[in-house]
Amino acid sequence: MADAKLSPDLFKRVTVDSTEKEKITTPALTFTQDAMRRLRQNKVAIVSLWVIIIIAIVSVMTIFISPANPNKGSLAYTNLPPKIANWNIPGFNGYQDGVDKYAGLGKNVWFALGTDYLGRDLLSRIFVGTRVSLIIALVATLFDLTIGVTYGIISGWLGGRIDTVMQRVIEIVSSVPNLVVAILMLLVFKPGMTSIILAIGLTGWITMARLIRAQTLQLRDQEFILAAKTVGESGGKIALKHLVPNLSSIIIIQTMFTIPMAIFFEAFLSYIGIGLPAPTASLGTLLSDGQKALQTQPYQLIYPAIVIVVLMLAFNLLADGLRDAFDPKSQR
Amino acid sequence: MIKYILKRVGYLILTLFLVASITFFLMKLLPGTPFNNPKLPPDQIEALKAQYGLDKPVWQQYLSYMLGLLHGDMGMSFQFSGQSVSYLIMSRIGPSLQLGLQAMILGTLLGILLGAVAAIRKNTWVDSVATIFAILGRSIPNFVFAALLQFFLAYKLRLFPIALWDGFSSSILPTIALAMAPLANTARFMRTEMVDVLNSDYIELARSKGETRWQTVANHALRNSMIPIVTIIGPMAVDLMVGSLVVENVFAIPGIGEQFVKSITTNDYPVIMGLTIMYSFMLTVVILIVDILYGVIDPRIRLNEEAN
Amino acid sequence: MRFNKRLGVLAGVAVAALFLVACGGNQSSSSTDTKTWSRMEGDVISSMDSAVVTDAISGQALVDTMDGLYRYAGSDLQPAMASKIVTPTNDGKTYTFKLRDAKWSNGDPVTAQDFVFAWKRAIDPKTKSQYAYLFSGIVNADDIMAGKKAASTLGVKAIDDKTFEVTLDHAIPYFGTMMVNPVFFPQNQKVVEKAGKNYGTNSDNIVSNGPFILKNWNGTGNSWNEVKNKDYWNAKNVKLNKINVQVIKDPSTAMNLYQSGKLDDATLSGAQAAQAKTMKDVTALKQATTFYLELNEKKTPALKNEKLRQAISMSLNRKEFIDKVLQDSSVAPTGLVPENLAKNPTTGEDFSKEAAKTTSQYTKYDKTEAKKLWSEGLKETNVKSLNLELLTDDTDVAKKSSEYFQSALEDLPGLKLTISSVPFKTRLTRSQNGQFDMVISAWGADFPDPITFLDMFTSSNSYNNGKWSNADYDKLIADSKGKDATNPEARWNDLLKAQEILTKEQGIIPIYQRAQTHLVNKKMHDLQYSPANMYNFVNAYLK
Repeated sequence: MADAKLSPDLFKRVTVDSTEKEKITTPALTFTQDAMRRLRQNKVAIVSLWVIIIIAIVSVMTIFISPANPNKGSLAYTNLPPKIANWNIPGFNGYQDGVDKYAGLGKNVWFALGTDYLGRDLLSRIFVGTRVSLIIALVATLFDLTIGVTYGIISGWLGGRIDTVMQRVIEIVSSVPNLVVAILMLLVFKPGMTSIILAIGLTGWITMARLIRAQTLQLRDQEFILAAKTVGESGGKIALKHLVPNLSSIIIIQTMFTIPMAIFFEAFLSYIGIGLPAPTASLGTLLSDGQKALQTQPYQLIYPAIVIVVLMLAFNLLADGLRDAFDPKSQR
Repeated sequence: MIKYILKRVGYLILTLFLVASITFFLMKLLPGTPFNNPKLPPDQIEALKAQYGLDKPVWQQYLSYMLGLLHGDMGMSFQFSGQSVSYLIMSRIGPSLQLGLQAMILGTLLGILLGAVAAIRKNTWVDSVATIFAILGRSIPNFVFAALLQFFLAYKLRLFPIALWDGFSSSILPTIALAMAPLANTARFMRTEMVDVLNSDYIELARSKGETRWQTVANHALRNSMIPIVTIIGPMAVDLMVGSLVVENVFAIPGIGEQFVKSITTNDYPVIMGLTIMYSFMLTVVILIVDILYGVIDPRIRLNEEAN
Repeated sequence: MRFNKRLGVLAGVAVAALFLVACGGNQSSSSTDTKTWSRMEGDVISSMDSAVVTDAISGQALVDTMDGLYRYAGSDLQPAMASKIVTPTNDGKTYTFKLRDAKWSNGDPVTAQDFVFAWKRAIDPKTKSQYAYLFSGIVNADDIMAGKKAASTLGVKAIDDKTFEVTLDHAIPYFGTMMVNPVFFPQNQKVVEKAGKNYGTNSDNIVSNGPFILKNWNGTGNSWNEVKNKDYWNAKNVKLNKINVQVIKDPSTAMNLYQSGKLDDATLSGAQAAQAKTMKDVTALKQATTFYLELNEKKTPALKNEKLRQAISMSLNRKEFIDKVLQDSSVAPTGLVPENLAKNPTTGEDFSKEAAKTTSQYTKYDKTEAKKLWSEGLKETNVKSLNLELLTDDTDVAKKSSEYFQSALEDLPGLKLTISSVPFKTRLTRSQNGQFDMVISAWGADFPDPITFLDMFTSSNSYNNGKWSNADYDKLIADSKGKDATNPEARWNDLLKAQEILTKEQGIIPIYQRAQTHLVNKKMHDLQYSPANMYNFVNAYLK
């Protein structure tokens, strides 16, 4: 390659406006806006979010419009397999082991997901059950968030003697098996939703508090916190502006643990016979009834199980998405 | 370090004392008498109460119970006549401990493996499969899962014993049923942490020094990712206790879990208190070990604790 | 390559774990021994000390391993330790039992002193027996229980080694049938005193005089064996060599085990019972236990109205309830006293069937009649609507039952039910304290005589939780114990009339008589079941 001759007139002097220099080319976004933008890019999370929203809406709507009364059945219609109109869809044609269980009941009698041992419409009961389980899970999660996060931050941030005392309190509270707490609640108060929520809530926050404290302990010595301290920000402000965003992944993940845990604990209480009082349905009572009929009426277990699995998958995948979106460290 | 551990053991004893006291007084709130015959005439109930010392003032019962505890005497069961609570626990704890340990080992090992693989192969099909597998493990209540395992693997395919406690082969299905919860929890935590760690500066530094991807995983990422798993061992142990109750029921295993609920519904106060104290003891010991491990794994925390 | 080591070890362990899990499937199949029987119980043995046992499971183990004065063969009372069925003398107040020659499993002879010792020990408040009240009626028993007299003053004595004499305060027509209850079994003083408080706490600390000997029971475990006792006086009629017992709580596990041949006798409930009823080896074991509704007339005075109570009873379709909800083999009752409990002393007719002749319409499902009675009742009591709480246990069956009752009874206009399920003990306490509107209760017979049921609902009885009261009823019960006590026929008629009054007024509302659904291996023959809800394995054989 030959030497290129460069002459001054090939160059042009550019003067940059000092205001131009400060101009930001991408739109200014707050932390939350930024997170939401990233969440929207995650298709799986958005689909999960919609699944949860739809399930929630359906379970609320069915307060007003339900296919049948979920708590009232007719003993003439007990343990019928699923059947949808007279369309003869395999699995939904009213046949079980080759026998038409609807024989002699009339043409217009059909239950989309079958009936239970009292002849109650399973579909309606699943609607109610989902609603009840969601309420239990959400309220219990609220306990987790408020008590657990506050407790954990205070304990980890202040450290020293206060931390020690708070840790001892946690140890004592968590040393009593939650089953005992639950049963005492159910005996002292009337058995029902409130007692179950209280029982789950009062034992569930501990894991959250412990994780938050551990993370706070790590964070509090990091440079950005030190910097904030040096600048003279108040403790509360540091907690809100710097700690909580950095704790968000732990909070969200743990919250997503609490929801299935709450639903499960309720199911567990139902299985050992101290769950919701009859005739209220919850996913737990439906599953524990269904489990007993696994060999004979498997559909009574399968459909509630599908609902709980879909709910769990949706919550967890959404949690993943939220985590990626909120965690400042995982910029894509 | 030794001073620190001694201090913690002191706290442990204090904790157990408080747990025993609180449980004792909570038990007194339970309605009903501990006698299991609905046909007992009222005056006979009074006479029986006197024989068991239940007619004495509560503080006297409390004192004698606490004094007994010092000697390892947890009283006599009401339900099993002539059987001491400590014997009841000792004779039934074996299968529960075995199942719990097997499930914990199986669950955490598979969980760590699953989580690590998912994180290393993040956003590939491997990740999706591992994630969905882990979520499914947490989505099916263990009483349903246990029944499904029993029905398909044992009853239909005849691969395993259906139930009963008869050698190692009979512990396999219950172990799998129990291990699902720790497996799912571990896998999930492992993946989350590993992704964080793999994104961190020191991994980039290590990579820039010429270590391969797998070398960085082995030398740095694995150890640093395991810290949060240590923190969830305590809660997982609680899950296993609760889970063992259901699983022992389904597989007819002579463990301590199924005895627990029964003692509550039959108002067997001494057994409830004994089991509560025993569970509390095991939990506090697990937490203590976890805290010490935590210090071993992450020196920054040990320094903090020791400074206090 | 540090990675390969560490992750490799991890992977290795996990794979090994999986491998173990996958390869453990081999198992020995159950023995096809022609003299071994495998059965299940729903719970563990609580004790083998016959003085303190109250539950059916320990009771069965005691009946298998011990012999009392009499033994049930089906519903026939047969002499066991006693050489014959004794007729009382002295106006029904003295029983003199001649004992047969028999041995304890440690070689000691069974003597009259063993009975004296056992009975005095059982009634002593120090023993803490919850069945001590069954001794009531024997001389000084009530005073001993109240702590006013020493246990040694109980009206029993050993006239010689083989003659045991019991003296009663007053005639007890059903005294003989009580002798099958383990609390009246003999005990070997030497063994009991040597073991001290450990007596009956494991299979090494007991001594047997019955058809089998208990083995491999550690006191709290979920399984035990009963092995044939070669020294049993009637050993030639014990044809089984061994009975294996396993505790199983989950009915689907029981079903799976039975179908794969691991169990010869499975007790089933719910869906599994319904499934079992379609199989050919199903057996229904009727138990002397009635479930009934109690209405609290004290708390809700409107329920004093007979028509309201009858309306509630007639709204219940008992047969459908049993078929669809309980799904087991239970029986729709016609009154409080269950079927197969007692037979007319002259005609041999079943008590409940005889009493039902005039009163069966009150327990029959009749929706129209129920609604008519209900509205009349509401008018008479000047009440527009009733909001009642239905108290039940928190067991699966109790919950399902209460759901059915709620749905069936709310067909009555103006009746609203809320269900409250609580643990068994809590239910008992609340029933006894009158803290309920309506409660599902159950009563099992202590001994096969109608009085064990009917006695409960006299005005002053402490088990009469609903406070139903009827003067004629009270008088009939008093007569049966007093002036008609030694006249079987008059006594029978008193009790019959009492049951008719109770049924007509629906003082309590009977719901079902429990019958367990069992799957029993067809190779078993001559296995009998007694009115005391116990198997008798003597004479039973496998073929």
